[in-house]
Order: sequence, then structure tokens, then C-alpha cells
Amino acid sequence: MTAIESRPPASMPLLRTACIVGVSVIGFFLPRLLGGTSAAYSTLTTIAIFAVMCYGVDVVLSYLGEVSLGHTLFWSIGGYTAANLSVKYGLNGWDTALATIALCVAAAAFLGAVTLRTREFVFSLVTYAAAVVAYEVAFNWDAIGGSDGIVGIAALKLPFVVTTFSGATEDELWPVAFVLLLLTLAFISRFRRSRLGTTALMVQMNPALAASLGVNPRRIRLAVFIISAPITGLAGWLYAYQRAYVGPDMFESYFLVMMLTAVVLVGRRVLIGPLIGAALLIAQQNLLSLGGDWNKIVLGSVLALVLIFWPAGLVGLYRRLSKNKP
Amino acid sequence: MNIAQQIVNGIVLGSGYACIALGWTILLGVARLVNFAHGQLYMLGAFVTWYAVTRVGLPYPLAILAAMLVLAALGLLIQLAMMRLVMSQNLTSLMIVTLGLGYVLQGGSALIFGGNPETLPGTLSRARVELGPLWFTWQDVLVLIATLALYGAVWLFTQRTRFGSVIRAVAEDPKLAELFGINARVVYLLVFIFECCAVALGAALVAPRSPILTSMGFNEVIMTFVVVVLGGIGSIGGALAAGLGLGLFTAFFGAYVAQAYTTAAAFALLLALLVIRPAGLATK
Repeated sequence: MTAIESRPPASMPLLRTACIVGVSVIGFFLPRLLGGTSAAYSTLTTIAIFAVMCYGVDVVLSYLGEVSLGHTLFWSIGGYTAANLSVKYGLNGWDTALATIALCVAAAAFLGAVTLRTREFVFSLVTYAAAVVAYEVAFNWDAIGGSDGIVGIAALKLPFVVTTFSGATEDELWPVAFVLLLLTLAFISRFRRSRLGTTALMVQMNPALAASLGVNPRRIRLAVFIISAPITGLAGWLYAYQRAYVGPDMFESYFLVMMLTAVVLVGRRVLIGPLIGAALLIAQQNLLSLGGDWNKIVLGSVLALVLIFWPAGLVGLYRRLSKNKP
Repeated sequence: MNIAQQIVNGIVLGSGYACIALGWTILLGVARLVNFAHGQLYMLGAFVTWYAVTRVGLPYPLAILAAMLVLAALGLLIQLAMMRLVMSQNLTSLMIVTLGLGYVLQGGSALIFGGNPETLPGTLSRARVELGPLWFTWQDVLVLIATLALYGAVWLFTQRTRFGSVIRAVAEDPKLAELFGINARVVYLLVFIFECCAVALGAALVAPRSPILTSMGFNEVIMTFVVVVLGGIGSIGGALAAGLGLGLFTAFFGAYVAQAYTTAAAFALLLALLVIRPAGLATK
């Protein structure tokens, strides 16, 4: 329960690959299986985008065990980069995505380096404050949109070899969101087995062992933070094309609470946990909405109650229940 | 001449920052706990005061008392719910839980008080004092005096009384303190309730200066962070000095550089300090 899930034995790599391919194909056709309506496409696209957004926080929270409250900043960097570069300079999707990655890495490196020598909760404080300050700057700086934001972002265009991929409608945007989600999942799964991922986990689980092996926990924190930023940033990048609008509302604490809740709801250190968490939460808000203020109460309560009563999330709850069975 | 007025404005702003940050400073300094719902508690304190004055018709001092009682009761419930996390010193989970609870408070307050900006009516905040070319309001005087008195009282209480040393013992090592017959749960409970009361008082005193909104908690809290970290994380004298210093800084920055970017400038100040002195100004 404390370590990562034990990996399936390597003796059946073919079966495992077949399973992954099968699930991916089913996932790709899921909107059509759900009726192929534009509501199905838009809800699933939103789930995919939000899940990718949550994976950025997941990397920091699950594997490093620290809390970044500044990922709305990277989310907004993605959105604002896509909006500004495509509206003002007519750049295509690849260029805006690359710019998003570069800017997110730069911002994360700066924040991480400044807080390198501070205690953990100062790191959380500074990341939280950074998001608030960035909101004020975005709200007041008319050159990047100001309080009105930027409206009328053109459809996403991704030139690919000979053809140009365009994402004008929700059903055209779905493949992009789905591929982004798959790439993110592949990246996280790779990260969990990487040297950095296992070291981060060691720092979290056994700081004494990490110290005795000469690991500097603060450098690990910096590296993991920098890796996590572009993930959330790329989600914001696609969100800007989906909504065709960005504004200071991208900094709202809703997104921050959403990211944290999606990660803790199913359970930390579960690969598909944030995806399921995001899907459950978006489904509640889109299909069983109780109105904006009640949705806030639901989302905040889920976050607080899960951590207070079942810190290991739904997975932990399931394990406890199945263990109690005779 | 304008400089003198900016110094007055700075002290006015700074005493407000210090007043709101007092609860957090105590919570962090003597109990080593964090509370990311602080901004929403501030918002709630302001709205309960507003409700008591405009809807119930209580006089201002009684409305302050009502706000403190409501927040004390709320603080009791929150802390009881979080007790297991508090006793295990699980800061990571505490940060996230309080953030979630803050979000619940924001949604709940919007349901109860509505989404419109409101203004706390205060006779004191409209009573201007003019000293030659300088001006301020009686509310500002009240905030400054209350802040200085509160900080003095809290400093005396934590440094000079037996209960103060009990709290510090619990902060150092809750398990060891329990061996010496101290009930750490009760101490944590009291400190958290004190934080809620202090932020309610701060809100009731400071909020009449500007319109209040149920969504303001997220942004209001940043100055508290800056004060607490600048002041050296939990140092009472440091927080007071940092609050006043930050007030002067924002007053001058707002007047001479750019009003819209004062929060950003305060944050830049914080970042610069974290690089030079990661543990804050008050440490040796």
C-alpha cells in the first residue's frame, strides 16, 4: 500500500502490450460508443484535458510527497501561450506547444530554484502566492489579454508530414486530447520506473536512507517540479483551443482544488488514479450539477473528507473492505 | 509632503496586514501547523460582522464578538475533524485538507450571503482625522492600537506565562509533551480556536476599509503569507515588523510606481528574501 503497485511480471510482455493496445482502441472509440453526440465528445475531451492537468500535480504529490499549489500558473501559461501566439502571430499548434513547454520549464525552474533552500511548506506557500500574483499580472496587463482575456482563438492546426490536422469542432479535437492523454500516461509510467521517480519516492518514504545514499532531497524536489510543469501546461494549451478563449479565470482556485481532489480521490501513486478521479468529478459537475456554489461545496468536501477518513483514497478503502471479508 | 502622507498610509496598511496575519503567525510559530483556509476564514469573519450589523442590527462591537464566536465554533469543528492528521504532524495532508475546507467555506458563504460585493458600514471608517496636510480615519487608529495591543498581549502570553511554555513544548514534540502530562489535543484545539478568533477580529477591524466579496479569500491571504515568511515563520515580533514594513513598501510602491502591481512587487520582495535569507529576516 505504501509503495508503487507491483508491476505485472515481465514474463507476458505480449499479453500486456495487447491489453494496452486494446484499451487504447476502446478508449479512442469511447465517444462513439456513448452515442457519438457532441455532448459525449465535449465531455470526454474535457475529461482528457483535465486528467492531463491533474497528472502534473500527481507527479509532485504522489511521488515526491510535497504539495504544489502553483500548478494553476502552468495551466494558465499553457492557455495564454496558445492564445497569444496563435492570435497575434498566427503560429500553428506545434509552435505554441513548444513555447508552452519552454515557458513552463522556465517558470518552474525559477520558482523551484528560489525555494530550493526553504522548508517544504514554504515551497507550498510560494507556489500558491505565485499563482495569485500571476493572476493579478494577467488581470492588469492588457498586452497579454488583461481583464477581458483573449477571445476568438482560431482552431488548432497541427501540420503533420503531408496533411494538416485541424481541430475545429469537439469531435475533431478529441483525437488530439486522447493522444495527449496517452502520451502523458506513457510518460508517467516511464517516470515511475525512472531513476528520478524511484529516488523521489525514496526521499518521500525513507528520508534517512536517501540521505545516507547522498541524495539531496531539495534537488530532487526541483527536478520533479520542473518535469511536472509542462504536463499541466500542455493541458492548458489544449484547453485554450477547446474553449477558443482564455482569461484570468484560468487562475481560479477551482482548477487547483480540482487537481488535488482528482489525485487523492482514487489514491496516490495509482497510475490511472488521476484519470478516474477527473472523470468522476467532471461527470458530477456536467451530469449531476447542483449549481456552482453547491459544486464547490461538493468538490472541497470530497477533498477534505477523503484525506481525513480514507487517506489512501478509494483504492485504500476497497483494500480495507476486501481485507475485512471473511 | 506627500511622503509623510505615504508613511501614514503605509502604517495604516501595515497594521492591517499584521492584524490579519497574527492568527497564522501563532498557529505556525507555536503549534507548527498550517491553515490554507485562512483567507476564507478572513472572508467569513468579515461577512458575519456585516450580517450582524446590517441584517441583525447589532452594534459594531457586539457584531465583532458575534463573528469571533461563530469562527471559534467553526474552528473547533474543523480542528476536531483534522485531529488525527494534526497529532501525526502530517503537514502535507493538512495543507490540502484546509485548502479543500476553504473552498467549501467559499461555496457555502456564497450560498448564504450571495455573490454581490457588500460594504461593512462603519461610522469610524468615515470619521476623518486631519492633521495639517495629513489625513486618516478613526478606524485606522483603532486598527493600529488593537494590533499593537494584541501583539503585545500575545507576546507576553507566549513568552512569560506557564501556558505559553506548554504550547511551545507541544510544538516541539507533541508525544514528549504528553509524557509530561500535557494534553496535546486540547492545546492544539485552543491554538486553532485562537487563530480563528484572531482572524475574525482582524477581519471585523480591517474589512470596513474596502468592499467585501465571498470570493476574496484566495487573494486576501497572500499578504499574510508574505508577512509570515518575511517575519521569520512564527516570530511574533518579526511578524509585526514585517507587517508594518510591508505596509510602507506597498504604500510607496503603489504611490510612486504602479498601483496595479503592488501584490506582485510584494511577492518579488518575498522571493528576493528567500534567496538571501531562506529562514526569514528575524533569524540570526
